[in-house]
Amino acid sequence: MAQQGSELSPEMIAAAVKRVLASLNESAGKSGTVNPASTAGGLDAKKDYPLAIKRRDLVKSATGLALDAITLDKVVEGKIGFDDMKIHPDTLEYQAQIAISAGRPHIAKNLRRAAELTRIPDARVLEIYNALRPYRSTRQQLLDIADELETKYQAKICAGFVREALAVYEKRGRIKK
Amino acid sequence: MAKRQKRFLVLADRPVNKDGFIKEWIDVGLVAMDSPNDPKPSIKIENGVVVELDGKRREDFDMIDTFIADHCVDKSVAQEAMAIDSLKFARMLVDINCPRSELVRLSVGLTPAKVVSILRELNVVELMMAMQKLRSRKTPMNQAHVTNLKDSAPLLAADAAEAAYRGFAEIETTVGVVRYAPMNAMSLLVGGQTGRPGVLAQCAVEEALELSMGMRGLTHYAETVSVYGTEQVFVDGDDTPWSKSFLASAYASRGLKMRYTSGTGSEVQMGYAEGKSMLYLEVRCIMVTKGAGVQGLQNGSISCIGVPGSVPGGIKTVLAENVATVLMNLEVASGNDQTFTHSIERNTARMLMQFLPGTDFIFSGYAAEPNYDNMFAGSTHDVDDYDDYLVLQRDLQVDGGLIPVTEEGVIAVRNKAARALQAVFDELGLPAITDEEVELATYAHGTKDIGDRNVPEDLRAIDEFMKRGGTGLDVVRALAKRGFKDIAESVLRMQIGKVAGDYLQTSAVYTEKFEVLSAINDPNDYEGPGTGYRLQGERWEKLKNIPQAIDPKDI
Amino acid sequence: MQISEELVRQIILDVLKQEQGEGKPAKRQDEQVPPLSFKELGPAKTGTDRNEVVIGVPPAFGTHMTKTIIDIPHREVLKELFAGIEEEGVKARLVRVNRTADVGAVAHDAAVLSGSGIGIGILCRGTTVIHQRDLEILQNLELFPQSPLVDKDALRAIGRNAAKYAKGEHPSPVPTRNDPMARPKYQGLAALLHNKETQYVKPGAPSTELSVQL
Repeated sequence: MAQQGSELSPEMIAAAVKRVLASLNESAGKSGTVNPASTAGGLDAKKDYPLAIKRRDLVKSATGLALDAITLDKVVEGKIGFDDMKIHPDTLEYQAQIAISAGRPHIAKNLRRAAELTRIPDARVLEIYNALRPYRSTRQQLLDIADELETKYQAKICAGFVREALAVYEKRGRIKK
Repeated sequence: MAKRQKRFLVLADRPVNKDGFIKEWIDVGLVAMDSPNDPKPSIKIENGVVVELDGKRREDFDMIDTFIADHCVDKSVAQEAMAIDSLKFARMLVDINCPRSELVRLSVGLTPAKVVSILRELNVVELMMAMQKLRSRKTPMNQAHVTNLKDSAPLLAADAAEAAYRGFAEIETTVGVVRYAPMNAMSLLVGGQTGRPGVLAQCAVEEALELSMGMRGLTHYAETVSVYGTEQVFVDGDDTPWSKSFLASAYASRGLKMRYTSGTGSEVQMGYAEGKSMLYLEVRCIMVTKGAGVQGLQNGSISCIGVPGSVPGGIKTVLAENVATVLMNLEVASGNDQTFTHSIERNTARMLMQFLPGTDFIFSGYAAEPNYDNMFAGSTHDVDDYDDYLVLQRDLQVDGGLIPVTEEGVIAVRNKAARALQAVFDELGLPAITDEEVELATYAHGTKDIGDRNVPEDLRAIDEFMKRGGTGLDVVRALAKRGFKDIAESVLRMQIGKVAGDYLQTSAVYTEKFEVLSAINDPNDYEGPGTGYRLQGERWEKLKNIPQAIDPKDI
Repeated sequence: MQISEELVRQIILDVLKQEQGEGKPAKRQDEQVPPLSFKELGPAKTGTDRNEVVIGVPPAFGTHMTKTIIDIPHREVLKELFAGIEEEGVKARLVRVNRTADVGAVAHDAAVLSGSGIGIGILCRGTTVIHQRDLEILQNLELFPQSPLVDKDALRAIGRNAAKYAKGEHPSPVPTRNDPMARPKYQGLAALLHNKETQYVKPGAPSTELSVQL
């Protein structure tokens, strides 16, 4: 299904440009709002959750839309597309902080990996998942994926996770020969 | 025997004697919760690294040991938790003076063998007490299966609407023919929001396909992401704890709720249980889930229920695995979703174990169709059991997640859902749903009452929809354009929910006002009588008011 | 009405069955089925004949275990599969897969050895898969996961369909059946049988070519 297609389709380039613009707009227009990284100590499960009700100010879509900006009329008119309705990595970071504050650090780790994966197109995410299945990849292929995650997508945590998997797969003989 | 005793002839004819029972076979792990091959609990930590787990040295760890040691175990509480005598810990599970928060704090310091040694101390009533206290979300809820033998879209939409209307918080479909998956997902997306705004829908198929449908906004959550308790079986299932964890992150990165699936009996069913008890292997699955940072787990044997169901203590063990899940502070969708007996008595007894204490989802699939249409190979309860279930809630004053409904109300939502899907198909260029099909789906008991669709045409059209990059927003637009604004708004609100990510937290569901209810803002605070979830007030009025009860005023 | 010996036999059997009561306990019948006489012809080779289907059986098939979960003798199982394949004018070849008793893997190994790329894998208890060489192991052309529903008619149809795939046709799948009550009756037993079966697995061992007198 979505798994085929070259890595540099026009749609993907367009989506990438959109994402970059969105993040630029955001950092430009954000002087008045809270900076995600600077929510020192993190969000609080009791005070801030659910974000959609208690911290609507913090939540924006991947392309920078506020929740209230997403309306049925705009969707019907075609002013809002599917890409405008994806979760923003900062939102995943907020949810990670809420999970920690609620005593669930394991979930926070998963959400932080997820925040990194928001930057990777659907098809590539599916490919990397398949590459991590047993006997699918050689040592070099997994190392290349780790490098790609780190350099191309700034996905440092995920890159470390793939390298960790590689070490275990090698020890247990689950690598493609 | 030449001459049979007549009572024995009658007994031989009883449904329970059509069930299969097996004596334990320890060497291969055909044993519920107590195998002499289960390791003794132990842990050694050096420089912040687990170097011994349940008697095994780190150099001998298999993948699962490694993953649990490095990702699940909290080294800062391990010494403290492991030092508590198992019997004492078991007593803490049922002690109303020991709060849930203390138990879940300690739980991540335990090893799999230690958890098993604790659970072995509890009898079935104590396990229910532990469940009542430990379940993650305060309000118990329920999940339905919505499937049919013909993958008929209008019938799926009508059944989804009825299921949502009857109170199920989550609905799950799967397929007869794999290529139907996106169309089935779309039918639940529309039907579910018609029956009750805010209901969550999923389509259970192969992992990668399931994720891609979620990415397209055709589903809200996923559950069929299987984990196993031995490395050989995990690999035979074509995954590792790392690939499965990556998949978990992929779901979250698209704002999609997800839980894993596991269950006692799967390892021995696949022939590689290493002689360990079913519960020990299942606890390893639960800890892999915890380590992956996944918010919840569907367990309670699930599709392998015939295996624990055939050995002594097996059904009690199924509850024990549910309890181990909530002890780990996870959401539990607690089984009751697959036929395991011919006996109505056994069936009800097995269900009461989760129904009475309440779980996050008592059923991880009540059949919202007749069982002959249930494509998960049959659930424990189906549409024909609705009234029995409602009466059980009323008899015992227990909230099992369903509400009494009227026939008129059900007809109305079924019809509206089928008509809405008819409009969507028309707008999106999918093969027409005729007025006759709408009518049949509205009034049907199951596929025996409806006609056949043109399968190759359906498949070609839905393939085409996926190839052109169709998404949930196309469904929103189609609904709005054809006058189903309320449903369009609901489908859209569910998509907006993925932007906020609130329902990524543990045990999350949506209310009909699209407010998330989860273990974060609806935490289980049971600490004995007078605390925790109580079926009372408005909700009790609603549940006790079954239509067939005679009102004294009317006589 | 003609009364044949066969009909009389059937009526007697039916009456006896009723006498014993319909809802007989799901107990294993102790009726013994003798093992098949296989001839081992050395390591299995990859076929070059595009007009063949390879049937793969696991280590215990027809030797340590001799009948399916619904008591179809393995001799009959092979007869039906062979007949189905041959009806379509395709040749059938038999191999024993020694390294695994996983139905998907047995079937895939058979497909890889098959000149047409089509293989059938069948476990002792009756679970069956039709596989194709270039598919992933967990995929398949057709899967029959509920062994109690694999009867002689199904086996014949499976053979026929495998042969059709081998000829490059696109047959309608053998109709899938769903019996919600198969699990309660058989699943525990299926687990037991599968564990018996896996005891004879020799990891890493090559497959062997077999001939058998049916």
